[in-house]
Amino acid sequence: MQLRIQQLLPVYFDEARKSNSDIWGKDLSFSKGEMIKIVAPSGSGKTSLVHFLYGMRQDYNGSILYGDKNIKQFGAEDFALHRKDNISVVFQDLRLFPEQTVGENLEIKRQLNPFHPSEKIKEMAERLGIGNKLQSKAKICSYGEQQRVAIIRSLLQPFDFLLLDEPFSHLDNNNSEKAMELMLEEAKQREACIIFADLERIDYFPYTKLFHL
Amino acid sequence: MALSYKTIKPLLLTGTNAASRWFSYIGLGIGVLLLLCSLQMFINIQQLLTRNSIRKNGSDFVSIAKNITNENMGKDNRFSSADIAELKAQPFIEDAAPLIPNLFRVQASAGQMVNFSSDIFIEALNNNFIDTVPPTFTWVENQPTLPVIFSSEFLEMYNVFAPSWELPQLSPATATNVAISLHCEGKLGERIFIARIVAFSDRVNSILVPENFLEWANKTLEGQDSTKSSRVFIKTKDANNSDLLKFLDQKDYRVNKDKTMFGRSKQILQGIITGLGVFGLLVILLALMLFSFYLQLVIARSKDNLQLLLTLGYSPAWLSQNMAKQFMPVYIFVVLTGLALTQVMQWSFHHFVMYDRPELSSFVDWVVIAAAILLIILSIITNYRLVKRLLYRMF
Repeated sequence: MQLRIQQLLPVYFDEARKSNSDIWGKDLSFSKGEMIKIVAPSGSGKTSLVHFLYGMRQDYNGSILYGDKNIKQFGAEDFALHRKDNISVVFQDLRLFPEQTVGENLEIKRQLNPFHPSEKIKEMAERLGIGNKLQSKAKICSYGEQQRVAIIRSLLQPFDFLLLDEPFSHLDNNNSEKAMELMLEEAKQREACIIFADLERIDYFPYTKLFHL
Repeated sequence: MALSYKTIKPLLLTGTNAASRWFSYIGLGIGVLLLLCSLQMFINIQQLLTRNSIRKNGSDFVSIAKNITNENMGKDNRFSSADIAELKAQPFIEDAAPLIPNLFRVQASAGQMVNFSSDIFIEALNNNFIDTVPPTFTWVENQPTLPVIFSSEFLEMYNVFAPSWELPQLSPATATNVAISLHCEGKLGERIFIARIVAFSDRVNSILVPENFLEWANKTLEGQDSTKSSRVFIKTKDANNSDLLKFLDQKDYRVNKDKTMFGRSKQILQGIITGLGVFGLLVILLALMLFSFYLQLVIARSKDNLQLLLTLGYSPAWLSQNMAKQFMPVYIFVVLTGLALTQVMQWSFHHFVMYDRPELSSFVDWVVIAAAILLIILSIITNYRLVKRLLYRMF
């Protein structure tokens, strides 16, 4: 499956933005197996781009196509299916169920379309240093711990594209590297494409294409 | 592996509104009970009155007469053949037949057993209008015995005054064994017949003899044809038909009110029961509305969680199906409880009020059970559609 974006620009951005950006107003295509790095300073529309690609917002001009399907034509059930099978995301604002435990948060996602057995949750959590947090409510975990929960959650389903919106903003270098390593392994297993949007370049992400937003 | 709702269930914040949830359950229960009870009572009345009424083959038989007033007292107030033809022509009247009276004098005496003698009247009516016609109700010329159909009410009246006249009271069986001597005397001659009661009629208040006998006797003893009568029996689909009543009022014909009383009280009773049923429906509607408000509140409270589930890739159709399923056992429980209470009501009504009359059953009618099933299906569908609509709106 290919992801194509054509002449994409948020409705609230000037046309002038097109000339300064590698992405806004351009025709691009991303294929499975590619590692895409998008460097984007604050206010350049990084979160908007991730939301557009995930289908959460439609306030843009241009088009986004998965295969030959324009996501503006998707219905609610199409999106549900797409998010279950083809695309996964780590949001900048994490979006966990605060009253549920870490384990429950992960199981809710895993059972939707299990790529891994439930034992894998513990393994991944331990690998990222939150193995002892599985029984704690998400809301009492630190932001860094919550960020790792969100990362693990994104890896429990099958996907062709993994969208990352500043996934390491609350992690130190050591933890970031561990998380990156895990994500790269998981993407490789699925031959998936990672689209990684961050404020600046990160050395331990082996990108194949680099774009400035 | 099947997707489990168990992990999702705690995300619905339901606990804080227990009172409004219970109010809607109770409201629903009361509504269901009212509706099912009214339906059952409606059926009961239908069964009781259909089997007890004067209807025969689905028609009402009523006798009509011209109203006798001070103004028309001296005139001929009998029905002519033209009057009867006019009656027959009306769309709401299926058939009409005159009650032909005797034109000669009739004296009855019962011999030794019942020492009684009196002038009486006899009448004849088309057999199709009589409720009880035994095969023995026939007469051929020169036959000395005469079969008679006697009004049940007349027998009751006789039994009321018999003791004060020192006459024996008679059961219907004994009455049929009494040989009554009928002394018929007209301008052209006199004859004596031995009459026997062959049946009792609940419908016709008269002493009925076979039609051909009266025609023969009127002609032979009095020299007249039996063309005019004071009473006419009509056969109609519904004695309470407003067109019929209007027509009779216009013509100033008097209806035997007793015969339509059943119909009228049935109408009133059914009206009341229908009113109760409609009230029950309104209560159900109100309860469902209350429940839908409760559901909307639950969904509004759980909005963030539900929205996140949709973001993660949960299907809105699956979510609404499972959310609606949550309330299914409660709906089924409420309606089945209503049905069980209706059954208790029906049993008590049949046993204690109706003293186990055979026309009714101690069990609820199948229509009531079907209505209960329909209610369950209806509430589940309404529920599912509401949740689905709210979830899709969130997307």
